[in-house]
Amino acid sequence: MSVSMPPADVTDVAAESTQDGPRPQPVWERILRRTGRAVIVAFWVMVVAFMLIRLAPGDPVSAALGGEASPETVAALRTQLGLDVDPITQFWKYVWAFTQGDLGTSLLSGVPVTEMLKTNLPVTLWLIGLTVTMTMIISIPLAVFIALVRIPALPYVFRTLTAIGLALPSFLVALLLLYQFGLIWGIAPIFGYEPGFPANLHYLWLPALVNCVVLVPVLSRVLYSSILDTLDEEFVETGVIRGVKSYRFFWFYVLRPSLAPTVVLLSYMMGVMVGSTVILESIFALPGIGRELVTAVNMRDYPVVQGIILVFGILVVFLSLLGDIVASILDPRVKLT
Amino acid sequence: MSTVTVTESPSDALVEIRDLVIGIQRTRADRLILVDSADFDIRRGEILGLVGESGSGKTMVCRSLIGTLKRRSATIFGGTIMFDGMDLAKIDERRWRSVRGNRIGYVPQSALTGPNPVMTIGGQLVEAVRCNRNRTERDARKRAMELLDLVHIRRPEVVYDQYPFQLSGGMRQRVMIAAALAQDPDIILADEPTTGLDVTVQAEIMKLLREIRTEFNMSVVLVSHDLALIDEVCDRLVVMHGGTCVEVGSVEAVARNPRHPYTIALNRARIELAAPGSELMTIRGNPPGVGEWPSGCRFCERCEFAQDDCRVGASPPLLEVEPEHWSACIHASLLGAASE
Ligand SMILES: Nc1ncnc2c1ncn2[C@@H]1O[C@H](COP(=O)(O)OP(=O)(O)O)[C@@H](O)[C@H]1O
Ligand code: SF4
Ligand SMILES: [Mg+2]
Repeated sequence: MSVSMPPADVTDVAAESTQDGPRPQPVWERILRRTGRAVIVAFWVMVVAFMLIRLAPGDPVSAALGGEASPETVAALRTQLGLDVDPITQFWKYVWAFTQGDLGTSLLSGVPVTEMLKTNLPVTLWLIGLTVTMTMIISIPLAVFIALVRIPALPYVFRTLTAIGLALPSFLVALLLLYQFGLIWGIAPIFGYEPGFPANLHYLWLPALVNCVVLVPVLSRVLYSSILDTLDEEFVETGVIRGVKSYRFFWFYVLRPSLAPTVVLLSYMMGVMVGSTVILESIFALPGIGRELVTAVNMRDYPVVQGIILVFGILVVFLSLLGDIVASILDPRVKLT
Repeated sequence: MSTVTVTESPSDALVEIRDLVIGIQRTRADRLILVDSADFDIRRGEILGLVGESGSGKTMVCRSLIGTLKRRSATIFGGTIMFDGMDLAKIDERRWRSVRGNRIGYVPQSALTGPNPVMTIGGQLVEAVRCNRNRTERDARKRAMELLDLVHIRRPEVVYDQYPFQLSGGMRQRVMIAAALAQDPDIILADEPTTGLDVTVQAEIMKLLREIRTEFNMSVVLVSHDLALIDEVCDRLVVMHGGTCVEVGSVEAVARNPRHPYTIALNRARIELAAPGSELMTIRGNPPGVGEWPSGCRFCERCEFAQDDCRVGASPPLLEVEPEHWSACIHASLLGAASE
């Protein structure tokens, strides 16, 4: 998407014969520009969320009221929902309301969507955060170990196991882990949730682990091959010759130059995983926005559906923005465009 | 192994490489030899050119001089590298730490990947300045600025805080030279230091290396596959082919009056390249692959002077064909006459 990895993009070297290199671009300027782009993408997400609902088969009003409603009731609801004006006006009203922090009101419960998000969104955010943390905590040492400890058979075993991990469907993994950890060993709750850190971790670690089964094989492989590539590069030799102390060497010459592709990939994959939280939250009965979305779709509660799709979209945009920024701070070669 | 026939005057020799054999231990019984019987001196204050087609073992020889062969899973199987009373072929990692960077500086090949991409120029120079020495941060910074100045980088205070990707290739390579100079080494190894740079920048880097040699009376080992690039700046040349040294001597002797058919071919290739309108002339055939070296002279399959006696026995050793000029061709005497 927006990230182009070195060295392909830094080959304009030979053209320079003057002493003045390209003008340095301040990091802040680059981050600001990338953020600006994310805001524009977020706007398009709003457009798509808005259109999806209107293009979905069936009229939301009659669906919500059932087939038997009188024309007067239908018209009243249309007015209440603001559907009695043309779509363009509707859209701008919707954008305006959004900037005021208003995402509409649930047709069923009459609760504002933002109120529902206040209780549901943190659950999903915690799940995402914990997934990212656990994935990194597992992937980094694993990849580093396999790349640095030169045991001949190890990379082969690693590739085989990660291939198996990749091939497993995540709902199956979820059910297996739930069965093993929840029922057989009884060390994880089978369902339910308790808000507030750190109590919530008790309910979230198993779903996060399910995500890890999908993410770790991909990320540790990417990191593993980046580390091998880095170790082949000449600057590593320079570091050895300089006699850089081992902890500095590990960070500045091995890990940090290798991390960017993994971070970017993780942020994109988390975007994809936002979708899978719908399944996970249903399996583990977590009161997050994914499960809320399923309920709302079933009930044709379209302001809720529209609001949650928008939040999901913004979450995806935000995660990839975050990934790109972190990657470019770790590795200045990463271009933010 | 070949007999020691090289008799250079030891007085001005800083490093003496004798019968150096480098290879890879693939299995317990299987050794792949990459370089055998490298024989030459590095003299004090000279620029020594190491030339040969790619794959001839130049980088391996360089790595043996900086102690990083192991990173490429290669080992020294025999021979000696005498430097300041030490045999670099045998010292352990701990001793290496006081030699590497300190007494022998290294300029990496690629301007693209030579500097650490995630560290600022200043950070890397300070690291190079402080290694093995206890300097304060302030002191190190001052020295880093000095070094940038030394390699003619304008606006050093700006460059200090920049990352390598913000600099042009020529500037990056200047920075790497500055880093190599950080500890005032006796020798600087530059393994194809101008790869990927355009011609004018290449010339600037060569000029800089010569300047440094003159200013600090350092020895510089300049590796290249391109004779034309380095014969202007070098004092002496070592020509490598198929993992051995085939000709050693002063630039005048080797480049102007070559006594090995390989050097003659290298020379001819560059002269015809320079002549306008001429066809691109390369040396006939391919360099012999590692592990597929023919018996006798390794150049025999490509050599227009080859006779039957060239194809038997061990690879011919370097012999002094005239004072300070060695050739590994057994018919060297004929060649001298022919080129006159
Ligand atoms: N790890 C290795 N395994 C097998 N062959 C190698 C290895 N490393 C280098 N070589 C071979 O050793 C030869 C010498 O390499 P090198 O010193 O890099 O040549 P040069 O620097 O002159 O181009 C080359 O033919 C190369 O293919
Ligand atoms: S020894 Fe024979 S084959 Fe080798 S370079 Fe001399 S003439 Fe040619
Ligand atoms: Mg090389």
